[in-house]
Amino acid sequence: MAEAVAAGADLSQPGATLLTAVSDHIGRVLIAVDRIGQATAAAAAAARTAGRPLHRPDLAAVRTLAADLLHHHADLAAGAGVVLAPGALADVPRCIEWWWADEGSGPEQLQVDLDPESAEFYDYTMTEWYREPQRTGRPSVAGPYVDYICTHQYTFTLSAPVCCAGEFIGVAGCDILAGQIERLVEPGLSELRRAGRAAVLVSGSGRVIASNLPGVLPGTAVSRQPACPGLVPVAGQGSPAGTGSSILAWTLLSDPA
Amino acid sequence: MSSIRDEASLTVTRSLPAAAGSGAEPPAAAPHGAAPHRPGRAPGPASPASAELAVTSLRARSVFAPIEGGRAETVARRLIQAIQLGLLLDGERLPAESQLAAQFGVSPVTLREALAVLRSMGLVQTRRGRGGGSFIRAAAEPQRAHLERLLRLMPPHELRDIADHRAAVAGMAARLAAERALGPDMAALREHVARLREAPATISGRRRADARIHIEIAAAAQSPRLTRHEMDLWSEIGDLVWLPVAEPDVAGIVAEHAALADAIEAQQPERARLLAEQHVAAETERLLSWRLGLLAAGA
Repeated sequence: MAEAVAAGADLSQPGATLLTAVSDHIGRVLIAVDRIGQATAAAAAAARTAGRPLHRPDLAAVRTLAADLLHHHADLAAGAGVVLAPGALADVPRCIEWWWADEGSGPEQLQVDLDPESAEFYDYTMTEWYREPQRTGRPSVAGPYVDYICTHQYTFTLSAPVCCAGEFIGVAGCDILAGQIERLVEPGLSELRRAGRAAVLVSGSGRVIASNLPGVLPGTAVSRQPACPGLVPVAGQGSPAGTGSSILAWTLLSDPA
Repeated sequence: MSSIRDEASLTVTRSLPAAAGSGAEPPAAAPHGAAPHRPGRAPGPASPASAELAVTSLRARSVFAPIEGGRAETVARRLIQAIQLGLLLDGERLPAESQLAAQFGVSPVTLREALAVLRSMGLVQTRRGRGGGSFIRAAAEPQRAHLERLLRLMPPHELRDIADHRAAVAGMAARLAAERALGPDMAALREHVARLREAPATISGRRRADARIHIEIAAAAQSPRLTRHEMDLWSEIGDLVWLPVAEPDVAGIVAEHAALADAIEAQQPERARLLAEQHVAAETERLLSWRLGLLAAGA
């Protein structure tokens, strides 16, 4: 996936590798996320073959895989796991098997209230990171958003659909702190600034992720930025040009050439 | 990795109030019913599985932080608050009196006075002999009498100061949300306003739904810090907000939240800020008025 994005990028432009750096990293984490998804799908398939419904204990492998992901991608991953579509499990109506990186003592399991009657009900089916893979059948990177459930930070969530026998049964994913993404794109943004060019990286939902303009703040809506209307998308950046496989629905805006 | 480490150390200071998000139902809610704003990452209250729990040093830092001026009422208030917020759990054993007095920075006599207040409220039970000590007794739903006692113990200037802090946080969060909220943020906010409208007619039920709205606004402002401040403030004042609310006034308070959501959706930052500030001011006035009533009644 990372290679595909690189091939689509216009390498003649300054800063053209900006998104490639992110895609490379995220592509590697996606492999680990997919492992979690595959283990979940395999458990569902095994239960199906055995002619019995899927139960929460069948997902025991997720814990190890999430721990592996958090260990091997400690530079990016702040949390990882899988959530199940309502009704996918026989013993619980909803299920979140999610671990977050805790220094020293190993991954901690996330505890949230999944009772729809509760005032504190955490309805993960309403989140962008759940809905996008459900809608498109493809991995996506949601955010940035304030994650007050798990990381308590400005966060992105990489997520991929989990299917069994062609049916959507949940989402496997990984939380990535916004600071890590900012660090990855900073060299590219600086390079463009040295070349005298504005650069604003925008999420699929129209939020500024990072920029090299002091007035264009991360988290603001690009449509309400007075400085941005003159900027145009940079060719080959952020769009799945020629590949159709980029998981980043992000756009890099810059001055017209 | 460094930022994650930093975050973990921050957790120490924030775990207390955040863990209190489940506030009103300390022992019952602790094992599974974690509040959405309870940090998955932060160590919550000690496992209630064991009947006699030692207070962890982590929580001790905040609950038992030294008291300035060293007064029994302040000690009592802090302990009552901690119990109401679920920071101290049912069955939990308090540290030895001498140790606790030292941690609060008060004399053993003052501490005993404070414990007497809690004992009279039925919030602490003292058992003598081997395995004895002072144990927390917490009810699932905060009792009005306890909240009123807590409110009486809070000096008005402190209620005013908390209100100032809340107005600053809620006002700024509302303003920034009006500038930054996108479609999905508004959908979440609307959802939680609807949840407040339909919330169970209990102090804790409404308080949770209310807190969630303000946390969603801060999240829509794209600010983890403002979000944390909202969470901390809500765990600090928690159930008090809904204590003085008469049933006929509930609809009006829900309407205040709806109007705030309208201003945010209409991208009117100044109006959103003003509405949020007025909302906090109205709550504070209700609290102060209720408190004066309690004092007048000699409760």
